Amino acid sequence: MMTRRRALAATTWLAGGLAAVLGAGTRPARAHGPTRQKLVLSVVVDATPDKVWAVIGNFHDLSWVPAVAKVEGPGGNDPNTAKRTVYLKSGGVWHDEELSDYDAREHTYGTFLPHVDVKVLPVADFSSHLDVTAEDGGKSKVAWHTAFYRGYPNNNPPPDLNEAAAIKAVTAICQPALDGLKARFAGHS
Amino acid sequence: MRAAGVAAAAVLAALALYLPARAGEAFVTDQGGNAVTVVDLATRKTVATIPVGGKPAGIAMTLDGARAYVTSPSAQMVSTIDTATRRVIGHFAAPGGPLGIAVAPDGRTIYVADWYGTDVLAIDPESGQVRARITVGRSPSGLAVTRDGRTLVVADRLSDAVSIVDLPSGHERARVTVGAHPFGITLDPAGGRAYTADVESDSVSAVDVAAGRLVGTVKVGKRPYVVALDGARGYVTNELASTVTAFDLATLTPVATIHVGDYPEGIEAGPDGRFLYVVNWDSDDLSVIDAASLSVVATLPLGDSPRSFGTFIRR
Repeated sequence: MMTRRRALAATTWLAGGLAAVLGAGTRPARAHGPTRQKLVLSVVVDATPDKVWAVIGNFHDLSWVPAVAKVEGPGGNDPNTAKRTVYLKSGGVWHDEELSDYDAREHTYGTFLPHVDVKVLPVADFSSHLDVTAEDGGKSKVAWHTAFYRGYPNNNPPPDLNEAAAIKAVTAICQPALDGLKARFAGHS
Repeated sequence: MRAAGVAAAAVLAALALYLPARAGEAFVTDQGGNAVTVVDLATRKTVATIPVGGKPAGIAMTLDGARAYVTSPSAQMVSTIDTATRRVIGHFAAPGGPLGIAVAPDGRTIYVADWYGTDVLAIDPESGQVRARITVGRSPSGLAVTRDGRTLVVADRLSDAVSIVDLPSGHERARVTVGAHPFGITLDPAGGRAYTADVESDSVSAVDVAAGRLVGTVKVGKRPYVVALDGARGYVTNELASTVTAFDLATLTPVATIHVGDYPEGIEAGPDGRFLYVVNWDSDDLSVIDAASLSVVATLPLGDSPRSFGTFIRR
């Protein structure tokens, strides 16, 4: 994955600079805990990376994620301008999720969510990368790398805002999506 | 016998002069793995894994390389590592959220920041006794002490500022506004300037320590974390970009963007200044940057979710 990210250098560097200029002074001060969580979920599906990417490779299309009802936002798949608002079937919503990098040729994109209501998703500073890589026999591995802090910013978090709650909530969104991809391509190779 | 012993000692001393300097070792805190991984920088191999509980994150190496102090935010403690025997030889309590840590040049005082509060504790590493409680800005993160031991600089993350503190009095002499959410802070060897990585404004701020004022700002990559220095240049890890931006210290302008592992955090120059060592939290590896070519020349495996927030190279 590291080598795959190398192709993204110039764009992310520019995007970072632009975001800094546009966003300076406008973001609310945010706090989070000192230990970031890392969760990597993956699945091998019976389809080539191009076929999988055609389903999951659009930043504004999360129809393959069962927990999501609708996605809106500007900017297409351009990391300099793209943002999305995500409406969950549970009724929750988050705004201004950014596209941090995007590479269709390498079948990868990254996201960063500066703020989310902990009642919707009990996390802070949520970022992710979706990566599709080729496996033997015309198959693909879809890996969803996520990084986040627990929802409670101070010491001694309540049980519904601790690390375990954050991991559980993220897993509840990502794992059914990956399982759905596997089922979708089963027997279609 | 005595003459022979003296002669042998003289030969050994002469030999020592001609032996190459130790290439050094990297002591890497593996926050997910509850361990410190020791990497020999000459052979580029892992030579030890030291168990350290409580999600170890921050680290401060003594100037003589004899001790490493490691913060464990989840256990609210600091562990003392004997670097030669590669063993934990003691613990002491650090209340709140201990993350950022620095050690005085004489090794006799440890400074530990409380991430959740507004304090830096000055602790005696022998007894674990808190000698002083120094009040700074909100959510103090990175810390550094000048080589003369007379000044402590603190990145006050939620105050968007650097606190400049006189030692040993603990008096905050100046507070300098920098970019948004400074996390890591690094002093040049003379203690003239401090550089912060400003996470939320994608910048590095340069602060004149004596004058207590902002010198300038460098635009860098997305979500910068920690700055390293090697003389003429600075290097900052850009976490969301998975890059390091090299910048000129005189002109405060970027000179190169170098691709490293994913979510780079800790970074420090090696003993001879030829290489920089970058700890990548997401890809669980160490990128070795050649300072001459400004390219990655090696990638070495580490433990789970490594961070090494602080000084981690044993010289």
